[in-house]
Amino acid sequence: MTTLWPIALITFKEGIRNRALYGITLLALLLLIANFLISGLFMQEIGKVAVDIALSAVSLSGLLLVLFVGINLMEKDLDKKTIYMVLSRPISRSQYIVGKFLGMALLIIITMVFLSMCAMLSIQLIKMAYPTYFQRFSWPMVLLALSFSTLTMILLSALAFLFASFTSTSFITLVLTVIAYIIGQSLSDVKALVEAPQVVGIQVSAITVKLVQIAYYLFPNLSIFDIKTHAAHALPLSLSYIFWTVIYGLVYTALAVTGAAVIFRRREFP
Amino acid sequence: MIKIEGISKEFNEGIRAKRVKALDDLTLQVPKGEVFGFLGPNGAGKSTAIKILVNLIRADQGEASIMDRDVNDTGVRKHVGYLPENPYFYDYLTAEELLWFGGKTTGLSSLAIKQRTDELLRQVNLQSARKRQLRTYSKGMVQRAGLALSLIHDPDVAILDEPMSGLDPLGRKMVGDIILELKARGKTIFFSSHILTDVERFCDRVGIIVAGKLRLVDRLDNLLIGNASLEDVFLQEVDKAGGAMEI
Repeated sequence: MTTLWPIALITFKEGIRNRALYGITLLALLLLIANFLISGLFMQEIGKVAVDIALSAVSLSGLLLVLFVGINLMEKDLDKKTIYMVLSRPISRSQYIVGKFLGMALLIIITMVFLSMCAMLSIQLIKMAYPTYFQRFSWPMVLLALSFSTLTMILLSALAFLFASFTSTSFITLVLTVIAYIIGQSLSDVKALVEAPQVVGIQVSAITVKLVQIAYYLFPNLSIFDIKTHAAHALPLSLSYIFWTVIYGLVYTALAVTGAAVIFRRREFP
Repeated sequence: MIKIEGISKEFNEGIRAKRVKALDDLTLQVPKGEVFGFLGPNGAGKSTAIKILVNLIRADQGEASIMDRDVNDTGVRKHVGYLPENPYFYDYLTAEELLWFGGKTTGLSSLAIKQRTDELLRQVNLQSARKRQLRTYSKGMVQRAGLALSLIHDPDVAILDEPMSGLDPLGRKMVGDIILELKARGKTIFFSSHILTDVERFCDRVGIIVAGKLRLVDRLDNLLIGNASLEDVFLQEVDKAGGAMEI
C-alpha cells in the first residue's frame, strides 16, 4: 500500500485538475438545470421524467469521464513517457497498474458523488415544484441507481485499463472501450433475441447464437447495473439482486485489472 | 557497482518488422564512486543501455546488475536515481508534489521528504516555482525538476541520460556542480552526454559506443595524452566504426 497510495494520489490529482473534467461537470450541471425545463414541458409523469433525466445526465457524464479523462490518464503515461518517472522508482509494473487504477476509481467516485448530489438537488427542486407527481418516489432507489452507475464507470475504466495494457495508442483504447460499453449495454437483449428468434419471427444461425453466447460471458453485462426505470417508477429490487450485482461488478473489475497487470508485466518502454 | 555483461538488444522497426540491433554484446563495469561518461552518436544505443539498467526494457541476452542485484529486482531502484532524456512529468502536478511522489515511493518519511525537497529545489533553483504546476515550466525547468526527482532519495547510483540537454549555461553549470558534489560524496554516476566539454570536466572514465557496439573504454587521463581532445578521440572512434550510423 505504501507504493500504491502515492501512485493513486498523483493519478487522482492529475485527473481532478484536468480541464476536461471541468467541461464534463459543466455539461452535467447544464443538463441538470435543463431538467427543470424539460420536466416542466411534460404534462404528466413529471416525477419519472425528472428522475430519468437526472440519472441519465450523471451516467452520460460518468461515461465521458472514463472515455476522455480516464483513458487519457493512462495513455499519456505511455505516449509522453511519463511512465519512465514512475517505473524507475521501486515500483513494479503490476503495482503501477493497480495504483493507477485506484487513483482513477477514486476520481470516478469523487466526481460521481458530486454529480449525484447535484442530480438529487435537481430532483428535489422539481419535487418541491410538482409534489403531486412524486407520490410514488423513493430516494433509496435513486441512490442505488446512482451507486450502480458509479460501479458501471469503475468497471468500464478497468476494461479501459485492460485494453490500454496491450494497445499502442489511446485511440484504439477509446474505440475498444466504446465497443465494450455498447456490447455490454445491449448484450442481454441480443442474447434473449437470438435464443428465441421465433418470438419476433426471424431466423438465426446456430453459429450466431454460439457467438452471442460466448460474447455474453466474455463482455460485462452492463445492463444489470442500469436500474433507471426502477428508480423512476420506484419499483422495488430484491436484496439478492443488489448483492449479486455488486459482487459481479467488483469481481469483473478485479479480473480486468488483474488481466491488465499480467499483460503489462511483459511490456517494454523503449 | 554497475555491471553489464554481454547485453544484446534488438527492436522491431517499421511495418515489415525488420529487426534492428540496438545493442550488441555490451560489457561494462562501473565501480563505486566513479563518474562514468557514456558517449556515442545519436542512435548509438546509449539510451537503450540506460533503459535496461532501470528495467524499462529487457535485454534479449546478457545480464545487468546494480550493487550486485539484478536490474529486474524492483528493490534495487531504491538505491538508483534516474533522469530520462527529455523528461516529461505530470502536467498538473507541482514540483513539490513530484518530489513528494519520488520520496514516498522510495520509503522516505514525510519529514525527510520536506527536508530533501527544500534542499534540492534550492540546489536546482526552483524554490520560487515549487508550487507551480509543471505545465507552466520551461524545458530547462522541467529538466531541473527531473534532476531533483532523481536525487530526492539520495541514491547511491545516479543514472543520468543527457542531463545537460535543454539547459542554458547557468543550468549546465548548476548540473555540473551537483554532479561534482555527488562525486565528492562517493556516489556512482553513469551519464550520457553529447557535450564533450562537460564529460571532460566530470568523468573519471568514458566509454564510446557506436552502432550498438562498445568501441572504447578508458580512463580520461589515458585518452587525453598530449594535445588530444576528447572530441578528437570520439570522432576517431566513430570514423573507425564507419561513421555515425543511425539505428
